Amino acid sequence: MNRSRFAPYLYVAPLVVLLAFVFGYPVVRNIEFSFKMVRGIDGPWIGLRNYELVLGQSLFWESVSHNLLLLLAIPVMVAVSLLISILLYERLRGWKAYRIILFIPYILAIPIIAVVMKRMFQFNGPVNEVLRWLSLDFMALDWIGSSDVALWTVMLLIIWRESALGIILFLARLLSLDESLIEAAKIDGANWWQRATRVLLPQMRGVIEFFVVVSVITMLSAVFAYVYMIGGGRGGPGTSTMVVELYIYNALIRSSLPGIAAAVSVMLLAVSALLIYPLFRVRSRDDGTGR
Amino acid sequence: MTTGRWNGTLSRRRFLQTAAAGTGGLALGGLMPSLAAQAADTTLEMWWWGEQELPGLQAFLDESVAAYKDATVNTMLQDTAVVISQFQTAAAAGKAPDIQYLWNGIYHMESVWLGYLRGLNGLVDAEVIKASNPTLLSQYGGDVYRVGWYPIPMLWYYNKELFDQAGLNADEPPKTWEAFLAACEALKSKGISPVGGGIQDGYWGEWYLGHALPQNLDSVGEALDLFIGERDFRDPKYYALWTKLEELKKAGFLNDDMSSLELYPGIDLIVAGKLAMGESVGTRLPADSKATDGQIGVMVMPVYGTGKLAGKPIMDTQGLGIAAGSKNPEAAAAFLEFLHSPERLQAFWEKTGWIPSNTNFDTSVVTDPAVKAMWEDWALSPNIPYVSNLTPGQFYEQAMVPAAQQVIEGQITGEEAGDLAARVVQEWRDFNPDLVDKYKSWAKDLA
Repeated sequence: MNRSRFAPYLYVAPLVVLLAFVFGYPVVRNIEFSFKMVRGIDGPWIGLRNYELVLGQSLFWESVSHNLLLLLAIPVMVAVSLLISILLYERLRGWKAYRIILFIPYILAIPIIAVVMKRMFQFNGPVNEVLRWLSLDFMALDWIGSSDVALWTVMLLIIWRESALGIILFLARLLSLDESLIEAAKIDGANWWQRATRVLLPQMRGVIEFFVVVSVITMLSAVFAYVYMIGGGRGGPGTSTMVVELYIYNALIRSSLPGIAAAVSVMLLAVSALLIYPLFRVRSRDDGTGR
Repeated sequence: MTTGRWNGTLSRRRFLQTAAAGTGGLALGGLMPSLAAQAADTTLEMWWWGEQELPGLQAFLDESVAAYKDATVNTMLQDTAVVISQFQTAAAAGKAPDIQYLWNGIYHMESVWLGYLRGLNGLVDAEVIKASNPTLLSQYGGDVYRVGWYPIPMLWYYNKELFDQAGLNADEPPKTWEAFLAACEALKSKGISPVGGGIQDGYWGEWYLGHALPQNLDSVGEALDLFIGERDFRDPKYYALWTKLEELKKAGFLNDDMSSLELYPGIDLIVAGKLAMGESVGTRLPADSKATDGQIGVMVMPVYGTGKLAGKPIMDTQGLGIAAGSKNPEAAAAFLEFLHSPERLQAFWEKTGWIPSNTNFDTSVVTDPAVKAMWEDWALSPNIPYVSNLTPGQFYEQAMVPAAQQVIEGQITGEEAGDLAARVVQEWRDFNPDLVDKYKSWAKDLA
């Protein structure tokens, strides 16, 4: 009896131990480092000093503000993804080919598309050349070389790439819906907008919430590759594209401050954990409703 | 020897293994001499970097290792991002390589302060150290910690053809700031971008500080005073470098795409005849001079400052050091000396097309007069170290690079750049109270 009760735990124990070692140990060490002035691979205990220094530094708060600003991309991503997925759902001619084309940005590695994008958006690059050719000189901005514009360029790249995930998620949900509802709405005389907003969207609430939560986590803790590539590897020009992840990277690799990097990592982990909670709530609710 | 990392104690297991091996060896009799010879072999571990910036270095090293008979040398090319951290982690764990590639200044001095590097005085032939020009920035506490491997002359390029087009004397690049501004004006009036490059990836800002800050310094140690609090970036004398940059920006002398171009594409503009002047490095000169049929000239940054270091050629050197944990430092030192033997210096040139860092190198093999002249002016004449190598990483990332970028895009003035630098220096002192004392000691060495 007891044996069968414990058997499942024994089966998963090796994997749990492995995961605890691979993920748990580094997290514990990271938390420990955040209270130390680390030099090389260890250092003296300094209590909350690392946290005090970080929280008192304007660059850290500037990095946080940039992450928060990137959240503005999420409504745009949701809108774009919804619009395109519903258009595809309407079975436009060649919709399967469009679906593949639209998902390609998400398959390509961020550095690859960022390098291409960077060339496109140089001051004398193809985008500005076209704008000048169209006599739209006032729109030919210094996309990656101006502190006022660079973060928006990063955001544009993020919207373009991350919307691909939204399109696929939303389209998958749409294709699983009962089409008789749409047919009934059509027979009742509902136009495209009414069908989209009154019939389709209410049934997609779960997947939209899921995409929003994942996107929030992405904007706060997974945009390193974008800013690293577009911001010249440094969050530039100036500090205009500096985000929390790059702050951590710089502290650890370029400033030899593992304790500081650890303190910020712990704070970022805490914020991410708080955001993962609603994600699980959404998923568990969806599981319950079958969405 | 070193790879075995035997800690000196003999465990029961090891004793039994040794006894068994010994008995077996005696039984084999005739094989004994060869086994003994194998055991006596010296093995060195060498971690290096440089193929990334000097193609051909791998081939040179492979050939050198094969030609070296006094030890077996195992080499490992490191990734750029981990050159320092990989060594420091290994050293802390007692598993450092015997020989480690070391960038100059603070990039290896932190390892010195952590006790991971061995002083080379008395270990490596003093003549070899001197001829290799490890530079002043490798000295700390009366010892030297690197042997120079290959030199990086820091210089400015100018395009002779564009100078001709603007009616300037292509054999006499401007030496003073006034002459420089006049040249810029002449070039601009002909529709030629006078000066600049690319700063999107930030390195241009580092190079710029390396060229400009010394102009108001009387000694290299004075640069360190800026970090330990003895001097202040808010002093006009020390933020003048960014004021001069602001002056160029306001006059419209910088290329308009400078903020969106990276360092090397920016230099390519000079080679392509689209930009008249800008920062570069000597390692590029052989290829660029050949590609332009001798149209690339080299110059020292025009002088605006009044410090004793103003107007001097700047020479940086990449180098090699010996880990404090090396079990066979003498063998490591012998290999470093071997790399500086006349035969190896010639091989270096043949494999890389670049000059090795050794003042005894026979330059008769260098056929390009521009390269030869540059070597004589930068390496064999009085030169100064590259002071950007003194700046802490935090200052590099949060002040040196952002300040130059923001001045160039017109976001801040030179004076505001000085304020930014002073604030970041103060933060660096708060973040690194232990390093401030090290910097103070270092400043005495470099005074």
